Amino acid sequence: MRRMPQIAHVDVNCFYASAERAFNPSLEGRPVIVLSNNDGCAVTRSPEAKALGIAMGEPWFKLAPRAKEWGLVALSSNYELYGDISARVMELLGRYSAWLEVYSIDEAFLGVKGTPTELLALGRAMKAAVRRNVGVPVCVGIAPTKTLAKLANKWAKNNPAFGGVCHWDSVPAAVREDLMGRLSVEEIWGIAGRLTRRLNALGIFTIADLAGVDPVTIRDKFNVVVMRTVLELQGTPCIPMEEERIGRDQLIFSRSFAKPITTTAGIRQVMSVYGQQAAARLAKHGLQAKILTAFAGTSHFNPKDTSYPSVCVPLPMPTADPVILTKAAHALLPRIVEGIRYARAGIMVTDLRPTGNQAPLSLFENPHEERHIGELLEDVTRRYGRGSIGLGFAGIRGGPDWTMKGDMLSPRYTTHWDELPLVKAA
Amino acid sequence: MGVIIGPRVIDAGVSLLSVLVAPVPVAAGYPSPAQDYFDGRIDLNEHLIKDISSTYVVRVTGESMEGAGISDGDELIVNRALEPTDGSVVVAVLDGELTIKRLRITPDGAVLQAENPKFPDIRVPALSDLVIWGVATRCLHHV
Repeated sequence: MRRMPQIAHVDVNCFYASAERAFNPSLEGRPVIVLSNNDGCAVTRSPEAKALGIAMGEPWFKLAPRAKEWGLVALSSNYELYGDISARVMELLGRYSAWLEVYSIDEAFLGVKGTPTELLALGRAMKAAVRRNVGVPVCVGIAPTKTLAKLANKWAKNNPAFGGVCHWDSVPAAVREDLMGRLSVEEIWGIAGRLTRRLNALGIFTIADLAGVDPVTIRDKFNVVVMRTVLELQGTPCIPMEEERIGRDQLIFSRSFAKPITTTAGIRQVMSVYGQQAAARLAKHGLQAKILTAFAGTSHFNPKDTSYPSVCVPLPMPTADPVILTKAAHALLPRIVEGIRYARAGIMVTDLRPTGNQAPLSLFENPHEERHIGELLEDVTRRYGRGSIGLGFAGIRGGPDWTMKGDMLSPRYTTHWDELPLVKAA
Repeated sequence: MGVIIGPRVIDAGVSLLSVLVAPVPVAAGYPSPAQDYFDGRIDLNEHLIKDISSTYVVRVTGESMEGAGISDGDELIVNRALEPTDGSVVVAVLDGELTIKRLRITPDGAVLQAENPKFPDIRVPALSDLVIWGVATRCLHHV
């Protein structure tokens, strides 16, 4: 019996905290938060940290006084580590489906086929492989549409009975309806706060409410995007794949090709275009990137000769420079297999930060700029007042514990030879 | 610019893991007779890393594995995808730390064996209590 293709949504649980735990098992079971750029606020919370009532985006200065009492571990964002772990997860997932869309640094959609039993087995196999081979935990949601797959994944995460893998069609209809009737529309992918209020005003409060409305009416009252969400909730796939996205801390370019590309030269051209587009978008948003990930993949119509190369490239400095970004994207080229039919490729830039006042292309890198000494001085001065820190002879007069900022950055375990994880022979 | 391909580290155009095995073409006039035989350099990644997404490099601290040829400061190639068996040199999680030992599976449970008489073996009565982080496949010993 031929079955309709389904979509698996896979994402890493508490990605940044999990990546840290993979190399530092002493963090297991402890409340861990990862802080945003410049250690401003919590952007990732381990379940233990959530249990302490720490909210997403809570500023570190509010948490710091109680950190010791809670046993809370706060870490600076180690984007080089996260970028490499992300590339590994994606490469591994690519082995389970010839159709994979890297959606963000920690999540992907995959095309999958099979009986409910086979799909559940596939979901469990992927979960086990990522956990074991790469070292981070994932949950898997499998459903007929992307929106439902995201929702199934959320259930898998929040309901231990699923064991981290939820296949939408295998959940009894009564259970599905009950859950959808209890969850707010806000829980749906793509429905933001303002939209929620407008939906509520129309008497649409739960996911079940939204799934029950007429898609055309919703298009007239809202727009085609909300209509698609309704259709997807009703089981009709209609969210287009592979759009340009800007997220909290990443920007992704990914496209399918009209005709497969079979040469390294062809991929080089694509990477060059993406590198320049990324540069333009970063500049437009006033951002610079510190990490670039480049990837390519074969088509789901061609299950033989699959190839999902990916690379993670730490950039020499935060940059929006097209030359540097393009050069970095070309790091993918040695991994391209000549003759294989690549159907898509993309780049993702992460560790984004506001553009400083560096020259856009500095041939002679200023090592102080590279290490953000300027930023650090500014931050410390802003927080602790003038005179709390200075360079060289302008230097230290004792005082606040500003060095903590550096202490909170874990080693770049997988990308720097002098920062490898240590194993004890004792 | 550092380029990372899985666990590989290539720095500023210098490939740490490449070794030249054939002469480069001569510059002037003559085509080098070796040119036709040059088929790329030995790529240690290709030979030492079987599974790119599952392989990590770690550094050893301590002397408890000297008998296995693993010294303080050596780097190990660790493949997390391999199934540890009796006799594997493994990275195990002990008291929240990554620890290198030889795994012995006995009827009475597992033993994490030191390869240096000065260090004790560690008995793990229930195999299920043991968390194996990965299996070491190569030691990069400093000579």
